[in-house]
Amino acid sequence: MNRRILCLSFAALLTAPAGFALDLGGLSKALGNTEKLTKTLDTAKSAGQMLKGVAGIGPEEEKLIGESVALEIVGKYGGLVRDDAIMQRVNLVGRGLALYSARPELEWRFGVLDSDTVNAFSAPSGYVFITRGLYAMADNDDTLAAILGHEIAHITGKHALGIIARGEFLSGATSLAAARSEEVRRVDTQLKTFDLGVSQVTKTLFEKGFDPQTEYAADVSGRQLAITTGYAPGGLRAVLSRLQRTPAGQQKIFSTHPPLAERIKRLPSDTAALPSGATTKSSEATHDTPAAKAAPEVDDDDRAFAEEAEKPKKRGKN
Amino acid sequence: MKYHPTPRLCLVALLLATAATLEGALTAGGTAYTKRFETNLLAEPAPLAAVAGKVSFGRKLAIQEARGAWLRVSDGPAAGWVFAGNLSETKPAEGKGLDGLGLNASSTTATAAARPLTPAADDYAARRNLTNARDDLNWLIALCATVTPQQVESFLQEQKKGEFQ
Repeated sequence: MNRRILCLSFAALLTAPAGFALDLGGLSKALGNTEKLTKTLDTAKSAGQMLKGVAGIGPEEEKLIGESVALEIVGKYGGLVRDDAIMQRVNLVGRGLALYSARPELEWRFGVLDSDTVNAFSAPSGYVFITRGLYAMADNDDTLAAILGHEIAHITGKHALGIIARGEFLSGATSLAAARSEEVRRVDTQLKTFDLGVSQVTKTLFEKGFDPQTEYAADVSGRQLAITTGYAPGGLRAVLSRLQRTPAGQQKIFSTHPPLAERIKRLPSDTAALPSGATTKSSEATHDTPAAKAAPEVDDDDRAFAEEAEKPKKRGKN
Repeated sequence: MKYHPTPRLCLVALLLATAATLEGALTAGGTAYTKRFETNLLAEPAPLAAVAGKVSFGRKLAIQEARGAWLRVSDGPAAGWVFAGNLSETKPAEGKGLDGLGLNASSTTATAAARPLTPAADDYAARRNLTNARDDLNWLIALCATVTPQQVESFLQEQKKGEFQ
């Protein structure tokens, strides 16, 4: 294998825009389609195919998938907290972030799950959920923005849709999105296929989580979104560190995410990564929010909610 | 056979990759894309400055100057200042709202935002015994629709966030 071709083709891969990178098969063929080149590009090729699959999911499909996944999240985590002040805060901070995200035109909706567990979830098409347990720790807007920014990054990165695209259940979803309710009931096979696709997503969200690299990428991307919007660069580090100091129940905290220490370690430096125009001003100003008033000091509260984690919900389950 | 790329070729690869990264960054001399249905080009790098022009979704803009978090951009004869957070380094993929209509006619309207779950999602909820979750989600949708874009902008202004930093 010609080393020059291999090296330059790799460079071409790196420099190619995402859309072009999808045609890796063509690139490989043009360069002789040798075994070594194919092997070198294997990972990127897989990523390209996944992207191609995601690109095939249209707005209607994404909306239906998102709603179905959101239903599962809300059902599993005890329903939604119906508190106007909390909802107002979460949606103002969240929508403010989403405005500067890669997909500002989505219908962004932010809800608080009535659960003591410490976690956050997102569903395609703009649904972001944070548990009551985690919300209690977001005692200023910098930390709340960091948490929401991470989830927004999962949606703009279409990470959940990537799972579905790999599962190849899309044709069912497409038909479902177009069909009327009465018709849908008759399409049993498609329903099963669709439900299988949604369960692939929820299984990832609830059990194993996204792969670590996806989570780290969401950390970086979400953190950058928070900084661009004007929140403190250290917001995510602060909330992760606080979770890390929680003396008990670590396994119940962000259980579907990579280890906290590793996430903290991989975060960019908070002093070196300021974007042009952004300042650290907000880190000094904790906004007087409902959560700020309600959240107790770190150590006592951490112990309390760690002990309370995973207790049965006060509300009826679905 | 084990492959060992020469340092020179690796340097070329690295330079090409770096060049691509720099090209994507929002810096003077580079390009940016609009990601909203409509993006205002302002006469000054300030959020409340006069609107000098408007550009539609997905337009490729030339970055003429960067001043803090603000970029002076041009789209043909139209030019003006835009907060960097309102632009994207890469071309946005979607040109339609979630209901398949143009962005202006779909997800950006209050009516669309207040729409309850789709019939297919309703069916999914019934099938999966998630009727309480369905009610919660419909409540969330209705509540979120009451938070207007103007309220979000006022919040950003009060908190000195986004382009109001």
